[in-house]
Amino acid sequence: MTKDEMTKVELGKGRNYIWPNSHALIRSRLLRENGKYIPQKSFLMRKNFFNDSKEGYFKREKRETAAKNPMTDPSMMTDMLKGNVTNVLPMIVIGGWINWAFSGFLTTKVPFPLTLRFKPMLQRGIELNSLDASWVSSVSWYFLNVFGIRSMYTLILGQDNAADQTKAMQEQMSGAGMMTPPDPNKAFKAEWEALEIVQHNWVIQGVEDELVDSHIQPETIYIKNKYA
Amino acid sequence: MARRLNWEGSRDCLRRLREDHVRDSELVVRLWEECLMNYREKLGDELWTVYEQVCIAALDCQRLDLSEICLELLHNKFPDSVRVKRLLGMRYEAEKKFVKAEEVYQSIIDKDESNMFVRKRLVTIAKEQNDVTKAIDLLNKYLEQFMTDFEGWLELCDLYLSQLDYSKASYCMEELIMSNPHNHLFYQKFAEIKYTMGDAESMAMARSYYAQAIKLNPKNVRALYGLFLSSSNLAVTASKGGGGKEKQNNIKNAAWAAQQLNERYQTDQPKEMTEETRVVEAIEKNKHPGSISDYFTEKGDEFTREERCQHYQMITCLLWQ
Repeated sequence: MTKDEMTKVELGKGRNYIWPNSHALIRSRLLRENGKYIPQKSFLMRKNFFNDSKEGYFKREKRETAAKNPMTDPSMMTDMLKGNVTNVLPMIVIGGWINWAFSGFLTTKVPFPLTLRFKPMLQRGIELNSLDASWVSSVSWYFLNVFGIRSMYTLILGQDNAADQTKAMQEQMSGAGMMTPPDPNKAFKAEWEALEIVQHNWVIQGVEDELVDSHIQPETIYIKNKYA
Repeated sequence: MARRLNWEGSRDCLRRLREDHVRDSELVVRLWEECLMNYREKLGDELWTVYEQVCIAALDCQRLDLSEICLELLHNKFPDSVRVKRLLGMRYEAEKKFVKAEEVYQSIIDKDESNMFVRKRLVTIAKEQNDVTKAIDLLNKYLEQFMTDFEGWLELCDLYLSQLDYSKASYCMEELIMSNPHNHLFYQKFAEIKYTMGDAESMAMARSYYAQAIKLNPKNVRALYGLFLSSSNLAVTASKGGGGKEKQNNIKNAAWAAQQLNERYQTDQPKEMTEETRVVEAIEKNKHPGSISDYFTEKGDEFTREERCQHYQMITCLLWQ
């Protein structure tokens, strides 16, 4: 299975797993937040639909944990390892070559004195105690350029350009963690608890009296003589 | 169109219609035929989206020839696309070949269970065939899984209303109110349904929700009328069983609504029109609750289903003035 195929399958799984659940969760959240706008009877009816101890939606719908943990599935584990190895190997080779090719030279000298603390940063590959810290070794110069040129890229090519590879590297690092979707049963349980403690407090109660007694329509104050 | 649009203008126009989900099909077809059709190569990749848009618009206008062309081009470009397949189904619908259309949609669902659009198309097929019970059934099944599709809830509400099933319709409206508690039109519609149900409890509910609609939008004349009618109705029914304070309150509410209406008619239209409008006088005359709502309450208990329906339409007409 190629990598693209794999992501496709996973996406499909994710969608099937997500849609009915997330809709129910959103609706339950809306009920908690806006339930005060509907009559009490209707509120209790809906609460019962979700939370009834026997027939309630959150109790009834026991979803199997669709997303297997990749760590427990050996075939997935090896797949991931393979993918990582193919990505890491060239980086090791290139890094080794750079170290071999660039070590042992002094390239430039910064035009101001620096303290000894800068020596490991600016003089990698050269172990000379007596050398002044303002000299820069070629390996250090290489790394300074590689990491420093990113802002130049964004300046010239704009945001999110292809030349900037650090983003892709970051995604690879965190990608393994992101793949596992949240456990639906846990989300259901949390929502069940949250809905269980909500009390109905009808806000429409007495609106008409409020309207008649105290509410002054803004136009009657300001616009009465608008066309006079 | 007075002046001929240049191609960029019509492209932007189509784009805007697409983004805002406006369904002005005649305009789309006209823009395409009068202008954009000759600038196809300038559209680039957008061309395919435009083809889809024009195809749907052509189906709306029964321009089967045009839709045929679009569909064929799209099919050649994307032979396996689900979206193109959906268009094919819609064309069968336009030709009233419902069985074929259903087959196409079903094949899409078999492949992709979570395709919302196609499931909704199936509901429309039932509706087109005037099979409201089936449409309600399908829509219910759909909403069981896509509970947050509020357009679906609104449609279901209207379907129930057409079947005079007011309690279920009000359930749908509650769902919509929860989806957006700041939309006064939802409150107003909910109140109208409650008003039509007609028993004392629903009537009180209607009054409260009309009031809420007015609170959210003081310019909602329809809700003002509703508040007036429901309050005076409650005042009259209360007088039968006693309950003096409640009655006083209701009379006060009705009077307030009448006064608001009065002011609205006087401030919002020019003087000549006010003289022509008899509504103000009528309200003045009926300010004492009893006369206007007599009709409703006298017969209130013996309303049959059909009469209720007529009643509902009557109120709707009255309120729409």
